Amino acid sequence: MKTPFSKKLSSFISLGAIALLIGLQPGCKQGTDPSAPFDISKIDTVLTGTVDAELTEAPNVPKPLTYTSPKRVKVTLKVIEKVMNISDSTQYTFWTFGGHVPGNFIRVRQGDLVDFTLINSEDSKVSHNIDLHAVTGPGGGAEASNTSPGQSTNFQFRALHPGVFVYHCATAPVPLHIANGMYGLILVEPQSGMPKVDKEYYVMQGDFYTKGKYGAAGLQDFDEDKALAENPDYVLFNGKVRALVGQGALTAKTGETVRLYVGNGGPNMVSSFHVIGEIFDKVYTEAGSSINTGVQTTLIPAGGATIVDMKAEVPGTYLLVDHSIFRAFNKGAIGQLKITGDENPSVFKKLK
Amino acid sequence: MKHFLTLIFTLLTALSAVAQSVSTEKKMVRIPAGIYTPFFKLPGTEPTAMSAFLMDETAVTNAEFLEFVKANPQWRRSKVSKLLADTNYLKYWKSDLEIGEKNKELYNSPVVYVSWFAAKAYAQWKGKRLPTVAEWEYAGTAPLVNSREGTLTSYILNWYSKPNPKVLPNIKSTYKNTFGLFDMHGLIWEWTFDFNSFIKSGDSRANTTDELKLFCASSTLYVNNKSDYASFLRFSYRGSLKGNFCIANLGFRCVKDLK
Repeated sequence: MKTPFSKKLSSFISLGAIALLIGLQPGCKQGTDPSAPFDISKIDTVLTGTVDAELTEAPNVPKPLTYTSPKRVKVTLKVIEKVMNISDSTQYTFWTFGGHVPGNFIRVRQGDLVDFTLINSEDSKVSHNIDLHAVTGPGGGAEASNTSPGQSTNFQFRALHPGVFVYHCATAPVPLHIANGMYGLILVEPQSGMPKVDKEYYVMQGDFYTKGKYGAAGLQDFDEDKALAENPDYVLFNGKVRALVGQGALTAKTGETVRLYVGNGGPNMVSSFHVIGEIFDKVYTEAGSSINTGVQTTLIPAGGATIVDMKAEVPGTYLLVDHSIFRAFNKGAIGQLKITGDENPSVFKKLK
Repeated sequence: MKHFLTLIFTLLTALSAVAQSVSTEKKMVRIPAGIYTPFFKLPGTEPTAMSAFLMDETAVTNAEFLEFVKANPQWRRSKVSKLLADTNYLKYWKSDLEIGEKNKELYNSPVVYVSWFAAKAYAQWKGKRLPTVAEWEYAGTAPLVNSREGTLTSYILNWYSKPNPKVLPNIKSTYKNTFGLFDMHGLIWEWTFDFNSFIKSGDSRANTTDELKLFCASSTLYVNNKSDYASFLRFSYRGSLKGNFCIANLGFRCVKDLK
């Protein structure tokens, strides 16, 4: 299956020469719509090398990509079933991509050929697979990736469309796998790259259903009746009550631009995502290519995502909430963005 | 008189031999005839009349499997073909013919890390066979004899929601069902003869017929009971298997036809 290195090298060099020639032609990039899907006629273009994708744990986002032509990108995710705290007093058996909820953030570029390996840990109870919404292909990869405990599967896909996409386990019963925390985000940068900002963060909402009520102590089993009734005990950012509070709070300095990649794993709830005291300068609505400006609250479908940009103007603690507000008040859907820096009285000032 | 004594002696010897072989032979339970309603409603999977058959009371244990390996050198860890059992085969045993001191609590626990080929060979050696999915599911649906754990489904889901125990418990450590079988759920997964004939693609969500996609919403189009998450988990698990896989929580038990 593998091309000999020398052959690879020569094609790499010749392609580089071609790319250079094309690159030198004035205006060749003009008029390219950054949101356009990858030009399928270029699909047989030889890839310019292989890289391992940087994977990060929320709320961190991999560094922006610096390469400018399609590569083979290797991604390996490991499914781990483990007991973790869902609140300070409560444990839950999470099923995870990478040992935490949400799963690792994956960053690739439009046109990349993603070589994806899914490993299922040896001590897993059940089989798992992955459906990446960034995939154009059967089951989003799930048909090719049902993986027994202790085994691995491998498939490849072309990242055709830019945007940030949800991935999740799609092994039957899908709702159980998602309810146990099996979701994450994959960013496909447009060929022109994402506009530069000072800070990027990864936030993902999910709802959880336990036998005991919110905060009930001890290891709690999944409650199928509550899940079917769509009546969650927990609605959380990043898999744990207070994950983004205190030590875990997101931070920025005044004057900085902040971008949040916000996904919603569900399985049931649609998020009314809002940051109290901020207005989103830009919302990539449903993480697609249409940009809305000056938005207070944006909807994030279950199994969908959004990208929001804002500027830190006034120091203080800003709350990330699902503005379906009982969820924020009673079920955990709350996080913090702490902005430090000089006061900005021309924008906000307490008078009395 | 002398002949008579000889006869008595011979008889006694024979009887004690029988008694001994009975005591070491694994107990099988008679599963009564009945109707099996498949989990998936597809053409050709209508409720099926099941004949009575015999099924091992428990999963095959490490001690029992050791006897098989002793008698069949080709199934020793160092000898087995990788096509028939992957590199995990019996990996926790001390050696080819020793379960090992560190595994002393496991002699009476189900043997795991065994492939389908190995399980099938064991069954043949015993003059038995592996159960079909239908037989296994039919036998496994019998309710708990005596439990305050609620329904069978909730019992199974509670098992799934706990991580694998560090040391696999012994057989008969979970529950007995009304057919007289032990640990049909809650201890290990078990091989079936036709584990991949239903869902073949290695993806639990696709069937060879294309009629059935066992994923997302489409997985529920053809099932008997959409909320039977425990069945979904079993069918998905089986769909991910290949015959040479050897897995930490996968063992087997055998069945036999009634003459």
